[in-house]
Amino acid sequence: MSKDILVIGGGIAGMQSSLDLADMGIKVHLVEKLPSIGGKMAQLDKTFPTNDCAI
Amino acid sequence: MLDVGRHPNLELLAYSEVEKVEGEAGNFKVTVRRKTRYVEEDRCTGCGACAEKCPTAVPDAFNEGLGARSAIYSYFAQGIPSTHTIDPDHCRQLNGKKCGICAKTCQAEAINFEQEDRIIELNVGAIIIAAGYDIFDPSLIPEYRYREIANVVTAIEFERLLSASGPTEGHMDRPSDRAVLAEIAALEKKAKKSQKALDKLEKKFDEPSAAFYGKYQAGEYEGDEDRKKWADKYASHLKIVEPLEELKKKAKRFTVAKRLAFIQCVGSRDFRFYPFCSGYCCMHSIKEAVIAQEHAPETTSTIFGMDIRAIGKGFEEYKIRGGNNSNITYVRGRIAEITEGPNNNPVVTYENTRERKVESREFDMVVLATACAPTKGIGTLAKTVGVELDKYNFIKTSSLSPVDTTTPGIFVCGCAESPMDVPESVAQASSAAQRAAEIAFQSELEKEKAVA
Ligand SMILES: Cc1cc2nc3c(=O)[nH]c(=O)nc-3n(C[C@H](O)[C@H](O)[C@H](O)COP(=O)(O)OP(=O)(O)OC[C@H]3O[C@@H](n4cnc5c(N)ncnc54)[C@H](O)[C@@H]3O)c2cc1C
Ligand code: SF4
Ligand code: SF4
Repeated sequence: MSKDILVIGGGIAGMQSSLDLADMGIKVHLVEKLPSIGGKMAQLDKTFPTNDCAI
Repeated sequence: MLDVGRHPNLELLAYSEVEKVEGEAGNFKVTVRRKTRYVEEDRCTGCGACAEKCPTAVPDAFNEGLGARSAIYSYFAQGIPSTHTIDPDHCRQLNGKKCGICAKTCQAEAINFEQEDRIIELNVGAIIIAAGYDIFDPSLIPEYRYREIANVVTAIEFERLLSASGPTEGHMDRPSDRAVLAEIAALEKKAKKSQKALDKLEKKFDEPSAAFYGKYQAGEYEGDEDRKKWADKYASHLKIVEPLEELKKKAKRFTVAKRLAFIQCVGSRDFRFYPFCSGYCCMHSIKEAVIAQEHAPETTSTIFGMDIRAIGKGFEEYKIRGGNNSNITYVRGRIAEITEGPNNNPVVTYENTRERKVESREFDMVVLATACAPTKGIGTLAKTVGVELDKYNFIKTSSLSPVDTTTPGIFVCGCAESPMDVPESVAQASSAAQRAAEIAFQSELEKEKAVA
């Protein structure tokens, strides 16, 4: 039995679930296939509906 | 993103892939391949000195190929981790040529051409799949001529053009114009080199090349081998300079794109490809039009769509505000084709369903709102992890348990499940985290019981 969690993909969805779990005191392993995390959202200039900067 | 890099409970395994999963909820054994970066993670400071010196230019994937990066690179400037990576397909040293400039540059001695992939084993209680989506390839719709017309771009390419840290520093420079400027730069380099050779000859014969060439062509130096060489050199110089001058004249007329068209549902709501609505594209077209107009106030945008779907919180207001304040016109109609008019301007032909007329309009640039396509590797990943896909190749779920896959202990969130925007992805992510946490805490309880 293990308490650790594996998250596959480091876009906004993977980052959010990883942080939620890590904040609950659970050990998370986040696997991302590209050299850096961020996913598509990192490529966006700003995001609707608030036009906040994406990163 | 920064928090992910430094949270004590979070082990970030970037540039890695899951190779094998065995076991069941509460107890999965996972094999992960950590691909070699040829750079030692614990040494690299991310300073970027290597990338500056690397002589190899590669199209930059982060900028959707609109710019170039080096063979040693960080995926993007603020990327986490900042560890650099050598691209094994393009690096000279790794392809049998002599180089190693990066290794000589790196003060931290982080470069290691002998580094190999590493395999690590993990034991986890639950798995969350958040593998996202791919941009639909619009060249599958030949009538839009995405590959043929330079100024027809995808929305994600347009995001990079809008970005201050992107390849145009946020200016709406048109791809056709950028191609010409790149050609001018290449020709100028060539012209400089051939001018240097001519300078030597002009000095030797004490005469400008142009004056000499006139006489040579009139037959004055017949049989003179040295002067023949000079004439040949000058002739090939002209072949560089003349087109260069033409291009420079053309470039003087270049302006940023001011008349934009956005085409909705490219691949979405289309029975040839994906019958579903991708959900976020109407909104990102409005967003891109709003930002473009902020950058250059005279910009006008026309959004062509069957209807504008603005169903999220605050979205309808956003759409109306765009129409009122950002020079956006919404036209109801489907696009029959895009052709190229004068001055590399794309011409959009469409049925104006309100007027019941076929119309054509010229724009400076056309932006395609591409569908949310399942990510390419999802078939392999689903097989490796052991979950089912739906008929479009998104991860299969059911409407009453939208983050549960077909296998207990494995959850999904974000666009790997179905097309959705950022707020929805975040909501699903928290939901999947909660479902996974239930298993984690159960595992802990059982462990405690076993000890007691
Ligand atoms: C042009 C454009 C503009 C947009 N603008 C907005 C906007 O303004 N506001 C908004 O709310 N939404 C916007 N969206 C939608 C937004 O991009 C998505 O909602 C969001 O990025 C989904 O996040 P995700 O984490 O599910 O997927 P992704 O961002 O695709 O992340 C998936 C991650 O998983 C990694 N991965 C994939 N396969 C594997 C594997 N086998 N192993 C390990 N890692 C893997 C990928 O490399 C990637 O890092 C826009 C979309 C587009 C196309
Ligand atoms: S490899 Fe060396 S030179 Fe390159 S970023 Fe890392 S520390 Fe800097
Ligand atoms: S060895 Fe040369 S080509 Fe390869 S990454 Fe280093 S500097 Fe670039």
